[in-house]
Amino acid sequence: MWSYTLRRTLATIPTLIAVISVCYFLLHATPGGPFDSDRQVSAAVLANLQAKYHLDLPLWQQYLLYLQSLLQGDLGASFRYADWTVNDLVGKALPISFAIGGTSMALSLVIGVAVGIWAAIRQNSVIDHVVMLISNVGSAFPSFVIGPVLILVFAVGLGWLPAGGWNNFELRFMVLPVALLTFINVSTIGRVMRGSLIEVMHSNFIRTARAKGLPERVVVLRHALKPALLPVVSTLGPLAISSITAALVTETVFSLPGIGKLIVNGAGNRDYTLVLGLVVLVTVLAVLMNLLVDLAYAMLDPKIRY
Amino acid sequence: MLSPFKLSTCMALCLALVGPSMATDIPAGTQFHATQTMVRSNGSEPESMDPAVAETVPANQILRDLFEGLTATDTTGKTVPGVAESWKQTNPTTWVFKLRTNAKFSNGVNITAEDFVYGIRRFVDPKTASPYATTFGVFLLNGLEVAMGKKPTSEVGVKALDKYTLEIKTVDPISFLPELVANTQLGPVHKATVEKFGKDWVKPGNTVGNGAYILKDWQVNNRIVIEKNPQYWDAANVRLTKVTYLPIEDQFADIKLWESGETDYVYQMPPGVFDKYKAQYPKELKNQAVIGLRYYDFQTKTTFKDVRVRKALSMVIDRDILSKRVTADGQAPAYSLIVAGVAGADPTPYEWATWPMDKRIAEAKKLLAEAGVKPGTKYTFAYNVSDYHKKMAIFAASEWKTKLGIILETEAMEFKVLAKRRHDGAFQIGRNGWLADYNDATSFLALVRCDSDQNTNFYCDREAEALIQKGTQSADPVKRKELLTQASKKIMDGYPIIPLVQYSLPRLIKSYVGGYSELNPQDHYRSKDFYIIKH
Repeated sequence: MWSYTLRRTLATIPTLIAVISVCYFLLHATPGGPFDSDRQVSAAVLANLQAKYHLDLPLWQQYLLYLQSLLQGDLGASFRYADWTVNDLVGKALPISFAIGGTSMALSLVIGVAVGIWAAIRQNSVIDHVVMLISNVGSAFPSFVIGPVLILVFAVGLGWLPAGGWNNFELRFMVLPVALLTFINVSTIGRVMRGSLIEVMHSNFIRTARAKGLPERVVVLRHALKPALLPVVSTLGPLAISSITAALVTETVFSLPGIGKLIVNGAGNRDYTLVLGLVVLVTVLAVLMNLLVDLAYAMLDPKIRY
Repeated sequence: MLSPFKLSTCMALCLALVGPSMATDIPAGTQFHATQTMVRSNGSEPESMDPAVAETVPANQILRDLFEGLTATDTTGKTVPGVAESWKQTNPTTWVFKLRTNAKFSNGVNITAEDFVYGIRRFVDPKTASPYATTFGVFLLNGLEVAMGKKPTSEVGVKALDKYTLEIKTVDPISFLPELVANTQLGPVHKATVEKFGKDWVKPGNTVGNGAYILKDWQVNNRIVIEKNPQYWDAANVRLTKVTYLPIEDQFADIKLWESGETDYVYQMPPGVFDKYKAQYPKELKNQAVIGLRYYDFQTKTTFKDVRVRKALSMVIDRDILSKRVTADGQAPAYSLIVAGVAGADPTPYEWATWPMDKRIAEAKKLLAEAGVKPGTKYTFAYNVSDYHKKMAIFAASEWKTKLGIILETEAMEFKVLAKRRHDGAFQIGRNGWLADYNDATSFLALVRCDSDQNTNFYCDREAEALIQKGTQSADPVKRKELLTQASKKIMDGYPIIPLVQYSLPRLIKSYVGGYSELNPQDHYRSKDFYIIKH
């Protein structure tokens, strides 16, 4: 398994270089630059600004300079937020996004699996229908609709929780965004879990287990759960990534200073270094998540060997 | 050639401008709340806390609390003494500022004229790459040349005559220099701090300012906390001890935070809700008209060469319906480049502004027919993605379609794309807007002058240009105003742009916040002038 992990890790290097290169040139090809604004700066000032950020050099030279500093772990200076480096910005935003995303992923997994099992073993009952209805609502309604509704009810209406913002990992600021992301993720995990468990419960080995006279609880938890979890695990990778993309919306709705907010602002501001830095980060995370998922497969399915 | 300098005018001007320093006008009998803290929504994340580099409204808003120039703006928009306690114009292009001896940086070091010399030289230095370097630099003697790297920074027209006397030389006679130097870009900077920390000198813990507040905490995209600066010369009159600025971009989220009691001050309400909230919060809703204009540019170089077509299109847009029903946020209709409240020129509304719409339509149809533009003709309109601009664009399209049969195809794009296309002239009709950098007509004239960086309609009227030149070189403010008004009217009769509405900032402010006047046309409200009433 170790050699497999090592091979997979090494294989990410060309992926990373490809992603960075495509992104770098796409970003620079996008019309409008970091210094285009309502107040058109004069040619002299523009030249000063471009020299400051090496934009006066040919693109290939800028690209090589960027790769060089990237190798040294330096994501460069932000074009927009002149007082900060991209490392500063990402370093401060990442823990916030992780706290929100991580907590909601953990909660979604536990709740989603539990709800999925519950609905599956009571297939076609009222409980099953209610669970499926809620889960469909969670999948169908976009987060930019559910988010403001949560704010309206719990912040403006009841006044229990803040409408947004962030204060040093204080719990009350985390509740609504985590609840929103969890709701959306549970909808997916719950549905996948239910479907997969229903299928497994119709397998021959479950019939055998039941024929042996095992209690239903043991049949479900010991025999059916493990194989039924496989599809859930495969959704976790993309789900973790989509938690980051969902953060673009949740962080705007709840005014959270995380990665999503930086991506939105960075792209709009043509903050080349900031966007590239975040792309590198998201790519690394995506590769890492997929690797973890693949490793988890081996643990769940004895047929898989690396 | 300068026109002769009138001593009497100068005397009158100087006397009018130099007054004693005054504390905030707080109504007698006001009872203060025990805790004097406030949370202000501030639109978006400031790009920098370095006064030389800052460009956007949110950044400059906070910087006016952290730094103070020679002068400052009080809550009613009046220019009041800042670090300078008095000033006089010694000849048409020379001003002498007397600094107060008790003004200190937040580290306790006295502020001297040399700190201003350093601050201004650093601001126009090409190495600093300030986006404002030429905007303000153009007024200072050699400022433009220094910003363009053609002269050394030591050549810029600012000199310390002695420890507490600063001389500023300008290119033309500029009556509004005292107001201009309220901008923190032209303020003092503590050299030793900049040299010690480099780029990080603006970070909490490092920064040394001279405003009423000190930067305490800065979490990007989350909050900026400032606290009262005990070293500030007027600290006795500063009420708020702590102010938190929040970068809230979503205008609906802004209102929700205010309604749930987390903020005291909404930055700007979204369009279309003005009447609703006015009914709901009559005491809390404030509407600050600012000197700014929402307008559409014509591409006069290519598509819109014919003034008759430009005039016809401008005439038929009903600004009353636009401002009352479409944007519906308390903004005022505009029929002139110069809006209400701008100094240095008067608004010159079009004659047809008071005509009934039928007459305007008939006239517009006649003009189009003369120009050979038939109903069914198509034009494209470029705007940046935003509900606000979309609403306005749909309205304009419907006005032109129903009244003139002209088809408008709207093209939505990212803001940066629009900015680039404006600059390149790659549009037919383009959305635009302008907030004055300083309260003078020249700030608006820059939008339509020949060879101006801000002119994206590429219109150029050489005769009007000559009037502007003559006006800006005149030392007589009355004459200057007359010439600039005349020039503005002449240019607007060439219809390079369609003036639509004058900007205003409708906002919700808790009734216990005192000091907000609704009289500050540049929205330069300093936290220093606010206080919390007992509640």
